[in-house]
Amino acid sequence: MDRTLGNFIRALRNNDVRISTAETLDAFSAVELVGYRDRAMLKRSLSLVLPKTEDEKAAFDVCFEQFFAAEDLKPEAGDSGGENGEADPNAADGGESGEGGGNPDESQAEGGERSGKAKKSKKPSFGEPEEEEDLGPGPMSEVQSELGKLLMGGSQVELSAAMAEAGNAAGVEEIQIFTQKGLYTRNIMEAMGLTDLNGEILSGARSPEVPTRRLSQELKKRREWLRENVRDYVERQFLLHADVSGKRLREELLRKVKLSNIEHRSHRLIRDIIYRMAKKLITMHSRRKKIYKRGQLNISRTLRHNMAYDGAIFNLHWKSIKVDRPKVFAICDVSGSVANYSRFMLMFLYSLEEVMPKVRSFAFSSDLAEVTDLFDRNNLEDAISKTLRDYAGGSTDYGQAFVDFKKLCLDDVDNRSTIIILGDARNNYGEARAEILKELYDRSKRVIWLNPEPRSTWTVGDAEMGKYRAYCHQVEECNSLMHLERVVGNLLKTVA
Amino acid sequence: MPESSPTAPTAITPEAEQLTASVKALQDAFEEHRYICSDQIATAVYLAYHLHKPILIEGPPGVGKTELAKTTADMFNLDLIRLQCYEGLDESKAIYEWKYGKQLLYTQVLKETLEDVLQGATGFAESVGRLHEFGDIFFSEDFLEPRPLLKALKAEDGCVLLIDEVDKSDHEFESLLLEMLSDFQVSIPEIGTVKAVREPPLVFLTSNNTREISDALKRRCLHLYIPFPEPDLEQRIIEARVPEIPPELRKHLVGFIQELRSMDLKKIPAISETIDWARTLVLLHADSLDPDLVRSTLNVILKFQEDIDSIDNEIPALTSRAASRR
Repeated sequence: MDRTLGNFIRALRNNDVRISTAETLDAFSAVELVGYRDRAMLKRSLSLVLPKTEDEKAAFDVCFEQFFAAEDLKPEAGDSGGENGEADPNAADGGESGEGGGNPDESQAEGGERSGKAKKSKKPSFGEPEEEEDLGPGPMSEVQSELGKLLMGGSQVELSAAMAEAGNAAGVEEIQIFTQKGLYTRNIMEAMGLTDLNGEILSGARSPEVPTRRLSQELKKRREWLRENVRDYVERQFLLHADVSGKRLREELLRKVKLSNIEHRSHRLIRDIIYRMAKKLITMHSRRKKIYKRGQLNISRTLRHNMAYDGAIFNLHWKSIKVDRPKVFAICDVSGSVANYSRFMLMFLYSLEEVMPKVRSFAFSSDLAEVTDLFDRNNLEDAISKTLRDYAGGSTDYGQAFVDFKKLCLDDVDNRSTIIILGDARNNYGEARAEILKELYDRSKRVIWLNPEPRSTWTVGDAEMGKYRAYCHQVEECNSLMHLERVVGNLLKTVA
Repeated sequence: MPESSPTAPTAITPEAEQLTASVKALQDAFEEHRYICSDQIATAVYLAYHLHKPILIEGPPGVGKTELAKTTADMFNLDLIRLQCYEGLDESKAIYEWKYGKQLLYTQVLKETLEDVLQGATGFAESVGRLHEFGDIFFSEDFLEPRPLLKALKAEDGCVLLIDEVDKSDHEFESLLLEMLSDFQVSIPEIGTVKAVREPPLVFLTSNNTREISDALKRRCLHLYIPFPEPDLEQRIIEARVPEIPPELRKHLVGFIQELRSMDLKKIPAISETIDWARTLVLLHADSLDPDLVRSTLNVILKFQEDIDSIDNEIPALTSRAASRR
């Protein structure tokens, strides 16, 4: 049973639920306590021990249903004879152990193995309506092929074990896409010895002897039954393994792909990635902050606070470095060509709330306006879509945007401010007004320009990057999540 | 797995043993204490008790996270030791502190006897040697002021430790909790490691999710998420908490709250608000909900003027929908 739990945990991990070894051990203790008998109880217990966030709980629910439903299938499949065969009690028996003889209807001479077969002969519930000669019940000849023996005599457990083994041999864990299911089913059947079985069925059907023909028919039915089971098995494996590696692949890809090319349906995934990246940066930088806070003995404060103790110094106070709260101004071009980049940069900046000092954001295409408020009042996604809706209309005018920015908040820019400008600097041949940027450059701590276009095109056509870059502390090409992560990471190093 | 298997629980009290015999028993006991809980919650307490694991409870505010800890303490007849977390909470507030005043006082008193101690000592080395004989008296348990965590460990008969709103504390404090949560012990440099006296405390941590709790902490806890209750459960809760409310009104009221929860509000009313509202209505001798009554008591369930304004127009519709809800 412990293997079942181990497998389940593996499946969970595949579905993005992070489970540590310690939690695995907890799960084992929990299962030891509550047992497998009560399914609802098991689910509740495991859901306390394994998934640790709301998202993970949702994934857990799905996974549990899938996994444990799948597990339940096996004995049912074994017992299915019980429903449509009159040999009820025997069928159940046969499901568990094919060798279990002692059937009163059966003649003693037939022996244990035969009795198993006879019971099972009524089992397959999907008897195909093929016109087959009715051979009636009666003795069958011995099975020759390995798989045939397993099918006729072997227990359900043995069969599943063989299936799993064949599955491993066929590398079913590596199944990636939906369409591979058929292939894997076939491979597994083959690994289990399908060829021999087919041979036997074929030769059996042609045989003049009734018992052999009867065997052949029986084997054929069971082959279908096996195929069904193998298909289920592959399906399960696909759900447990493939779905995710596919997702992982996609995520890997999404990190590198140009942000403007990302389709709308991937936005959710992107958000997750951004969130995870942000979280990583947060842990990295909040740890760094701690070192900053550590200082030396603050003598005056210590003395003052220890007056009550007659001047004996008991309560020490430490100097701490005041963490400066510098400001970040994000100016985003939201015109059509760069809107998507702005979207993701804003998403990133605001995901970093915890470590990032206060961000003020501005959006422009022709006129510039502050959108900080929108982000305060709405959730991230709404704020971004509202920004894009309200400001993305006009044609790009960087000159006007700078003028507006100057009017709006040049006074707030001081030597602790970082200004991030995201845009392609394509000004529609309008006035560049680079002198305003120079003013910002002089006043602020850093001006960073992120340009989604590749460097080679920065000065081509109506792009004014040549003029602007002179007044930036840093210019970066930034068009994928990876770039974004790097830029923001650097930003945190210098800002926080 | 012989090592990690749960040790046979030594019951805190005979009643406790009875209570924790099964999830059902626990649930009934909770109900007796007027805390109606879902299977999930009862299972969490059951596992926490038997596996000696802390429970981290998350969920929206007002769904009874803190109440769960309180009721559990009540039920097991244990002391509840509560540590309210806030930004800047540190070990001197959470674990222990030296009684500086007392130490100072004693040094002053002992100053006079110092000569007696040092009498006849020749040379610096011997004097120091004699002083050393005093040992670290000043840093012994007598001078230790235990704070909630240490208190919980030292409680003779076990206790329920509630670490409330752990998300409000700093990252550093979280790390401080780790030793406590995984091994039920704390290390004090001057004294050594203090372990739980007899029975490890039953630990509840609550979080409102204002920030993500670190993985290290989560790993050591069972994780219980308490969502807003289903209508049936909420009805039973109201029934247990405000028994004097007429059943018809109760149904109506829960329906209304459930409707509200599906709306886009700044702060969605939780169970605590439902209970407050029920009490208000009982106080007003109301026996059915009508739009005017709702409007005049709305500030009990909605805590932002913005929210109140936004649903003002929809009150009649909401009321009738709530009434037709079954």
